[in-house]
Amino acid sequence: MNVALKIWRYNGETGERRLQDYEIEAPEWSTLLDVLDLIKDQVDGSLAYRKSCRMMICGSCGMRMDGAAVLACKTRMAEIVDSGHVPVISPMGNLPVLKDLVVDMEPFWAKMRAMQPWLQPGYNEPDEEREFLVSQEQMNVIHKEALCINCGCCVSECNSMESDPEFLGPAALAKGMRFVGDARDAATVERLESYNEEHGIWDCTRCYFCQERCPKGVDPRDAIAKLGAESIRLGVDRDMGAKHAKWFVTSAKTTGWLREEELIPKTQGIVSTVKQVKFAMSLMRHGKARPLPIPHVAEGVREARALYNLVKEQGRDGALGIVQGEHALARIEFTEEGGARRAAPEIQPGVEPPPAEG
Amino acid sequence: METNGFPAKVAYYTGCLATLSAKELDSSTRALAERLGLELDTLESVTCCGAGDIHEAEPDYYVHLNARILAYAEATGAETLMTICNVCTLNLRQANWQLKIDEGLRERVNRNLEAVGVPAYSGGVEVRHLLWLVAEGEGHERLKAAAHRGLKGLRVAPFYGCQILRPSKLMGFEDPDRPWSLEAIIQACGGEPVDYPAKIKCCGFPIIAAREETALGELIQPIEQAIEAGADAMVTPCPLCHLSLDAWQQKLEKATGREFRLPILHLSQLIGVAAGLEDSELKFKRHVVSVQPVLDKLAT
Repeated sequence: MNVALKIWRYNGETGERRLQDYEIEAPEWSTLLDVLDLIKDQVDGSLAYRKSCRMMICGSCGMRMDGAAVLACKTRMAEIVDSGHVPVISPMGNLPVLKDLVVDMEPFWAKMRAMQPWLQPGYNEPDEEREFLVSQEQMNVIHKEALCINCGCCVSECNSMESDPEFLGPAALAKGMRFVGDARDAATVERLESYNEEHGIWDCTRCYFCQERCPKGVDPRDAIAKLGAESIRLGVDRDMGAKHAKWFVTSAKTTGWLREEELIPKTQGIVSTVKQVKFAMSLMRHGKARPLPIPHVAEGVREARALYNLVKEQGRDGALGIVQGEHALARIEFTEEGGARRAAPEIQPGVEPPPAEG
Repeated sequence: METNGFPAKVAYYTGCLATLSAKELDSSTRALAERLGLELDTLESVTCCGAGDIHEAEPDYYVHLNARILAYAEATGAETLMTICNVCTLNLRQANWQLKIDEGLRERVNRNLEAVGVPAYSGGVEVRHLLWLVAEGEGHERLKAAAHRGLKGLRVAPFYGCQILRPSKLMGFEDPDRPWSLEAIIQACGGEPVDYPAKIKCCGFPIIAAREETALGELIQPIEQAIEAGADAMVTPCPLCHLSLDAWQQKLEKATGREFRLPILHLSQLIGVAAGLEDSELKFKRHVVSVQPVLDKLAT
């Protein structure tokens, strides 16, 4: 098949950037990485990209296709070629570009290191068996997080990191959960204290780009939610993000619906709220807030409260509440109505992919 | 009974905001449903879906709260639970998948529901957003018929928000990187869709209370890009995005020293204007950014 690509070239020494067209004959089974290899071999030896294993294990070949991070070795080209679309290939986002499709992974590794990604078993010696035994059930808690290959695809489109480059981000936080959830680790609370700091867990804006992009099923957003759940379970809940989350639980138990007008004071505290009087007044003028918040009580709130008390007795607090649903969610693709992305109907106004950034 | 994917009756879940700060979303949705011939069976004794916050703070409680909402929806006899909020859509669909696929989980949750007097949930409800009901098939035909007043080529920027696109395997409706549903609706109403890259990105709302600066750094992208692309207004299927885009726009103006004044419409309001809904149903006075420039343009 004849494959056409547009690739963003970048020269780190001169700062020059340009979009270059390539065309090459490639076998039907080719992946994006195979096509890049052919281009480099036959057309343009100066093209730079990372690769190693060619089989979705090493995590080297993360790059963007039409603005979306993919592993080049996992992306088959035949369907794209058949559709007549010419994809735009660019380096991953949220990381500095060194040359062409190669990004500087150092900020990524620095955040990984900040998670202290090694077991800290403390000084507990195992008993006579001379080994720590971990049950399958205990390993299930971190099964998904342990699948991470550090490719950076989840980081590429992280919306919070675009706004706050210091945000630890989905890959590092998923790694954090891999250790927080490990039954052998003794530093759980210390870890959570650290991950709860300014650029940690509560910076996540829940855009779910990480979940969409991860090529290995780690589901980093769910890992971050597990860290939030473990933080609250263990009382590491001083951050405004934790207070915000807890207010929803209080609301559900007391009135059923969110007690919306009290959310900002409950999250930020009174002092910060008072400073925003002008903003609050503007909301009141348009009926979006009331001077005296009278909660809107749902009819069945007694049931919601009883349900809370019942559930709290059943030992599925914290991350376990998320882990219990993971097996089902992993099977969606294999159900009749599940997981299908529908093709657009004939009329496709304004559906050009976002311009790739270099 | 469904006609080409369009149900005669749905269990209508308002969510929190449409009964609180976004009452205009509820009133315009009800009025629009009538014009479309869609019967709404409003769920009265349900609670908040947890908005992702209960999923994070008390995940097991989250599953139960959502199971309870689904159980009451099933009890109405409707096969579709209709949402009008992205966050409700994700939370309910996620819990629904778990309960449908995992029998063991469903049995445990049902035992708990029944213990507190809630009917058991058998897994017979599909959670669908209003957007999906009118983007294709019979619903789209009815929308075209109802939108007789048109939008006179109004340039409208579609803003999808996150949790109706991603995770796409939980949604199963459209390509999360190249969505088309809002564009199709804008066109069917006689408007002109405006394209811009941030239409699939985050409005910052989930962290706007706890991390305002980071959130505003996200919020500015769609507003700035839509204005640059020549939009007269923006439309969103999510009341949380709406609150962020509309009410927090003034904070963005203060932080940047620039004037944006971009009117933000709920999906039901945009279709509602084209369908000639009354002022009392559209309730534009409840918006922080005035919608008057849009109405003036349509009046000429």
